[in-house]
Amino acid sequence: MIEVKDLHVTFNPGTPLEKPALRGISVTIPEGQFVTVIGSNGAGKSTFLGALAGDVLADGGSIAIDGTNVTRWSTPRRAGLVARVFQDPLAGSCATLTIEENMALAAARGRRRGLAPALSHDRRHLFRDRIAALGLGLENRLGDRMGLLSGGQRQAVSLVMAALSGSKILLLDEHTAALDPGTAEFVLHLTRRVVDDNGLTALMVTHSMRQALDYGHRTLMLHEGRIALDVAGEERAGLDVPHLLALFARQRGGEDITDDALLIG
Amino acid sequence: MSEIAFFGAVEIGLVYALVALGVFLSFRVLDFPDLTVDGSFPLGAAVAATLIVAGANPWLATLAAVLAGAGAGLVTAVLNLRFHILHLLASILTMIALFSINLRIMGRPNVAIIMQDTVLTPFAGLGLPDHLLRPLLVLVFVVVTVLLLAWFLSTESGLAMRATGVNPRMARAQGIDTGRQVGLGIALSNGLVGLAGALFAQTNGFADVTTGMGTIVVGLAAVIVGETVLPLKGMVWALTACVAGSILYRLAVQFALSADAIGLQASDLNLVTAVLVAVALILPRLKARRKARRAAA
Repeated sequence: MIEVKDLHVTFNPGTPLEKPALRGISVTIPEGQFVTVIGSNGAGKSTFLGALAGDVLADGGSIAIDGTNVTRWSTPRRAGLVARVFQDPLAGSCATLTIEENMALAAARGRRRGLAPALSHDRRHLFRDRIAALGLGLENRLGDRMGLLSGGQRQAVSLVMAALSGSKILLLDEHTAALDPGTAEFVLHLTRRVVDDNGLTALMVTHSMRQALDYGHRTLMLHEGRIALDVAGEERAGLDVPHLLALFARQRGGEDITDDALLIG
Repeated sequence: MSEIAFFGAVEIGLVYALVALGVFLSFRVLDFPDLTVDGSFPLGAAVAATLIVAGANPWLATLAAVLAGAGAGLVTAVLNLRFHILHLLASILTMIALFSINLRIMGRPNVAIIMQDTVLTPFAGLGLPDHLLRPLLVLVFVVVTVLLLAWFLSTESGLAMRATGVNPRMARAQGIDTGRQVGLGIALSNGLVGLAGALFAQTNGFADVTTGMGTIVVGLAAVIVGETVLPLKGMVWALTACVAGSILYRLAVQFALSADAIGLQASDLNLVTAVLVAVALILPRLKARRKARRAAA
């Protein structure tokens, strides 16, 4: 469970470049819920995920994960609780390390790393099984460098890595934005499977309203660092993209946003 | 080249192989350009020589040199990580500070230990001539170091260190304290260089405050020559390449200096090294550019 209370984040405080990115976000996400997050550029979506992961420290409010206040925790300290997949397929793995080495890094997430071999026989076995389940034929390439894989393959492996160490929360920051439509579809289906199979609490940032409504149980719309819309259940089931746009327009005070191509896509 | 000159070059190449392994850790594994080694090499020599002259056990003196080198590396890491001084500058600050510290440790610019017992002394009675015995003993140190380093880099901790160098953002997201890894790696790197300094002092019979100059370039030259000669995958091979590169580099220098036709003197060594490293760094770029041009045509 994630409990966020009145979360504030300001970039470059006290300088001429001061920019409030989050201005009071409060939301409670129960265990096992899959939440999609939308909003136009600069709405604070990525900052919100960054604040949950620890990359961005809050200057007001609090974040609690499973009842523990983690507001002041650094990224590595939170890593045992939170798994992530980044937008850039290059960002989520080490290109010059092999697939199995990358998986070994993820398997040790949240534990003390000692002098045991990173790749034991049992672990290799586990990695092979998990990768084989992707159906991409990568199980025979575990010793290949990660950099040799395509963007879609890297995101697929990243999803498997996210589920390796038993973290209960998964943060997905537009993880299909850099992929072609077919591959994006595959990675989204895989995401749903990983989330369901492991009973994860997930937050997925997306630029696509369609995806936001098609996946998950609940949709948050951010605008100027605040939650502008929060729909779930039957209300959400009855929504389609035009409705969502209209709702969003009303939230923004009747301002026309049909020009915002990023939101409609 | 005479037999003695040949094995002399191999011996010094093996001593500097330890420097190359340290430089491989900082430059290649951690992607941290660390010039501290120019100070930690003579530091290792100074600590070992001073302790040996004071009557300490040469093995303990060598261990103290390793720890002193590691300490110097930690200073650089703290300057960079805690106080956010640029890594290159942080290492230069430690390096010039060490020049004064080394003089303080020795009390004078040069300490001779030619008459003292060293880690080599117990093996002197084995019947091997000196010019073969010394490289052989240094080789034992190098082989043990390569094996230990290869083992460490394959453990969970070692993998965390490698990930820190490749993709720090990903490493942090996987729960790795990247700052700690950099500190540990730079300390380890300079500990190896301190060991090289200690062995240099004991095989040559002296420690001198000026021996550190250009250590980083020699170490880097060995790493680059090794990568060019043995471009193989796998950690053991990469480490072996550093050792091979260091020996080959020394042999090439020895050959250049002993070939009268070229007309080089010992004092031209730094120039030769700088040109060699520059060429080794420029060549792959030129090759890549030519390949790109050919692909475009």
